Amino acid sequence: MGSKRNISRRRFIGEAGCASMGSMAYLNSVLNLGMINTLAARPHIISNTSDYKAMVCILLAGGADTYNVLVPTESGEYSVYTTTRDALALDKDATNPAQLLPLNYNDNGRTFSVHAGMPQVRDMFDIGDLSFLSNIGTLIEPIANKTEYDSGNKKIPLGLYSHSDQIMQWQTSVPQSRSAVGVGGRMADILHDMNTIPEISMNISLAGKNRFQSGNQYNEYSISRNTDASNIGFKGFPYYLSNAGYINSVKNNAIDSLVSQEYSNIFQNTIGNLTTQTTESIEKIKVGLENVVPLNTSFSATNLSNDLKKIAELISVRSFLGANRQVFFVTYGGWDHHDNVLGSQAAMLPVLNNALSEFNAAMKEIGMHDNVVTFTISDFARTLTSNGNGSDHAWGGNQMIMGGAITGSQIYGNYPSLALTGNDLNLSTRGRILPTTSVDEFYAEIALWFGVSANDLDYILPNICNFYSPTCPASVPVDYMPIGMFS
Amino acid sequence: MKKTTQTIVWTTLLLCVLLSTKARCQADTIVIGFGGSEGVLVTASSNEAPGDPENTINFAGYLPNENGSSRFLGQATLGYNYNDIISVSQTGQEDWIDSQFNITRPFILIDKVYEYRQTYRDSLNNQTANTNSRMWDYAWWQYLMTSSDDLRQRIAFALSEIIVVSEKSAFGNNALAMSDYYDILLDNSFGNYRDLMQEVTYSPVMGVYLTYLNNPKSDTTKNQFPDENYARELMQLFTIGTTVLNEFGEMVYDTAGLPIPTYDNEDIIEFSKIFTGLTWYDRTQFGRGAYNDTSYIENMVMWENYHEPGVKNLLNGYQVPDRIPIDGNADITDALDNLFNHANLPPFVCKLLIQRLVTSNPEKEYVKRVVDVFKNNGQGVRGDLKAVIKAILLDPIARSCDSGFDTNFGMLREPFVRYVQINKGFNASTSSGNFRNDMDYVYQYVSQKPLASPSVFNFFQQDYQPIGLIEDVDKVAPEFQITDAQSIAGYINGLYRWVIENNPADEYDLFGGEANSGYADEISSLDLTEEVMFTNHDQLHILLDRLNLIVGQGRVSQSSIDIIITALKEFPNSTPEEKLAIVRIGIYLLMTSPEYLINR
Repeated sequence: MGSKRNISRRRFIGEAGCASMGSMAYLNSVLNLGMINTLAARPHIISNTSDYKAMVCILLAGGADTYNVLVPTESGEYSVYTTTRDALALDKDATNPAQLLPLNYNDNGRTFSVHAGMPQVRDMFDIGDLSFLSNIGTLIEPIANKTEYDSGNKKIPLGLYSHSDQIMQWQTSVPQSRSAVGVGGRMADILHDMNTIPEISMNISLAGKNRFQSGNQYNEYSISRNTDASNIGFKGFPYYLSNAGYINSVKNNAIDSLVSQEYSNIFQNTIGNLTTQTTESIEKIKVGLENVVPLNTSFSATNLSNDLKKIAELISVRSFLGANRQVFFVTYGGWDHHDNVLGSQAAMLPVLNNALSEFNAAMKEIGMHDNVVTFTISDFARTLTSNGNGSDHAWGGNQMIMGGAITGSQIYGNYPSLALTGNDLNLSTRGRILPTTSVDEFYAEIALWFGVSANDLDYILPNICNFYSPTCPASVPVDYMPIGMFS
Repeated sequence: MKKTTQTIVWTTLLLCVLLSTKARCQADTIVIGFGGSEGVLVTASSNEAPGDPENTINFAGYLPNENGSSRFLGQATLGYNYNDIISVSQTGQEDWIDSQFNITRPFILIDKVYEYRQTYRDSLNNQTANTNSRMWDYAWWQYLMTSSDDLRQRIAFALSEIIVVSEKSAFGNNALAMSDYYDILLDNSFGNYRDLMQEVTYSPVMGVYLTYLNNPKSDTTKNQFPDENYARELMQLFTIGTTVLNEFGEMVYDTAGLPIPTYDNEDIIEFSKIFTGLTWYDRTQFGRGAYNDTSYIENMVMWENYHEPGVKNLLNGYQVPDRIPIDGNADITDALDNLFNHANLPPFVCKLLIQRLVTSNPEKEYVKRVVDVFKNNGQGVRGDLKAVIKAILLDPIARSCDSGFDTNFGMLREPFVRYVQINKGFNASTSSGNFRNDMDYVYQYVSQKPLASPSVFNFFQQDYQPIGLIEDVDKVAPEFQITDAQSIAGYINGLYRWVIENNPADEYDLFGGEANSGYADEISSLDLTEEVMFTNHDQLHILLDRLNLIVGQGRVSQSSIDIIITALKEFPNSTPEEKLAIVRIGIYLLMTSPEYLINR
């Protein structure tokens, strides 16, 4: 929702950037709006605002067992995989039906397969439209191994292994705090003005309220996969009443008057503002929806495919929405497979597979393939060992990135050893893997591509300086995008 | 002892009221012995400590006025009508609570489901046909609309948002499972929290939802370990929470300024060993699926061979002994006792309950007073929910009209509760007196209906902070987590359907092909005959006063009322249909106003 909030801002004292990192005051100021002043005073570094870029974040809510999404198949590593996972292991040699599909990838003998429910993901990987990020997770600072983890000298994310905390931290990238403000929201704080219709939020959600898209200044705008020009907005008195136009305006004006009064109670004030913002946004978004031309790409009849279809439609009418930058957010839930992980993944991964490939095709159809980056996030990966036929909460896991702007056919990060013993990344008898790539590093690169300046990176990602030096743009955090995309 | 405490509390509070410049108590409470007018307040009948000021000070001694009764019922029920308001005004709040405690349940939900199932089976001529999810929805709604135990229903709904299971699961289409679980909540709403923990733990509904039914002991040869799901969520969400709290419900921080975890993952592993060995009551083998629909309605049973042997190191140094022979039920009792007696449980649970009923950010002393009652109901009993409910609803903070003027006080009414309020407040009725409603539209519009949250984390989380003013003053507002453009427009469109179009419930066939006559007499319609008498322009203020009382506690301001009256005057107003439409539009507008939407 577009309009800026009235907020009392504590002034941030000192220069932004890595110099002041490590100070608690600095973090608090980022989390509590103080830095906005500094940012607002800074000229935007974006030279060309006529380009269009969007990112699509797909939250696999519940903590997907991604060590069965991307599986090591080099014989030694595969043997460790089957020993550790035992009843949960997929058979790389099964053919009828196959359980794993080999990727066209060989890194000094290391080879990998994807779950057999994802043939199009395999194809997109092979042709360079998709890559994996391996053993990525929420971190405040790098932790090299179990010894460091146990030492008590390293900062550990709050509520590690709990859904509510880890799902939040993947969205906020601030694992030391239970903050309401997320990565996409903070990007909107900086980049919102690149869009020309201020009532329409840069952040559009197909999954309702979420932390990823909440900024210090801007909320998400929430839309449903079923929303179109005919049903958006408030229902009105039927057209066959001769005075329908007049009484509808009386009704809607009364609502506007009620919600836009000044309220001193914080809850009344908030619900009033949210309703006003909703009304304003609806009017503007409706214009975009009226201009949607049906896509040729066909989408499956699943919620996720229809969510991504709605996003594709919105991207296709970006000019009517005045959009140069957009962040979309989708949730596909139900990955908390404490039970029946094999059967559930066999049913759910094809849904993800189809939705991703359909969206990828739609972006090619509308000529936006190079302008849109899609990625998955999830609470955490799961224990390598089973609890019978399910797995429990763990930490680092594997995620996907897709689109023309990324370098495809790669597995970024370090796919970890899956051994329970003699493995200094394994934190538990259950097989919980310490992440070797931080969520920060991943987001930093996409933020730079999106147009966030290197100097503003630590506003988006307050911990980034623990992982990467943002003032040195010759290097990139993970390097999953070709250098030069953002420079 | 208890009375003395209350006296002190009241004296302090009244002092605040006297000193407050915004003590616009108007006629919110008619207080016998207090004087009923603004600024006229009596602190106590005597300043001498030994006196028993009960009749002056506590709530037995005075009666609320109508606005005060409406406000009380807005906290203590899911919905109420004009007659309920009058009734509380005449009996007083504490007596009303006592009379509610004495109402026995008119029926249990599962019996209603059996009834629907029999109708279904007879019509199909198939005596083995199973239930479907609609039968659960219908049973829940029938109970709501026909039972007078409003307080029990309010508490059960609150508990359903704390000890969560959801129809978004394997048993979502099994009305017996859904209703049996909700019966546990209704049965224990006036019971003891420890008993509730026990019943929930043995319910196969929870066993399936959090995957510890058929949870076997470790088998290290297969790298197989007990499922951690229930162990984790039982602690995190149902009993003690993740961080150490003091008795005021405030987080305690360590020297580095960080919250202190209540348990770590090793503790979860220990607790996970406790919840092994449970399976269906009607199976002759461990590890099988449900035998049939009714598998869900009896407690799970312990199979000792599948229960993890050995000691388990629980919290606060408590160790479950290495029982020989293995006794899984004794282990469970020990573990639940360990959590029930944990110092974090009373503040964690009490704060959640206050947030569900009264206010999102309870003052610390308020939490402490309720916590004290949770720890000891006055007769040495811990966890007595009747005492806790009284402590929450009769606390000076909940009752004083002055709290309502605190800018940080109150809570966003849950969208589903607003929906119930329409049906109860405006007397939805059917020709047969039976109701059915699968709550389809309300779920579509605002994503809420009983036992339908997306996960065990409920529809929203207790510590959710929307950005803006609420976050700026570091307060929480859980219900705002489901308040976005979709649900804001959805709710307003729902109002249009429910009130203006007079479609307050969603009635469907019980089964494919049920004749329309099967439910024609169960179609709900709002009864606005009292209200429609005041639709002439010069009487619209009477109409709005009445609507304001019924849904708005009389707290919707004159400026908002004026906006609504001005709008209503623009609508045609001659035929009976037009007059009825005026009432409907009046309700619609009132229920979109922020002053209604915030319960304070």
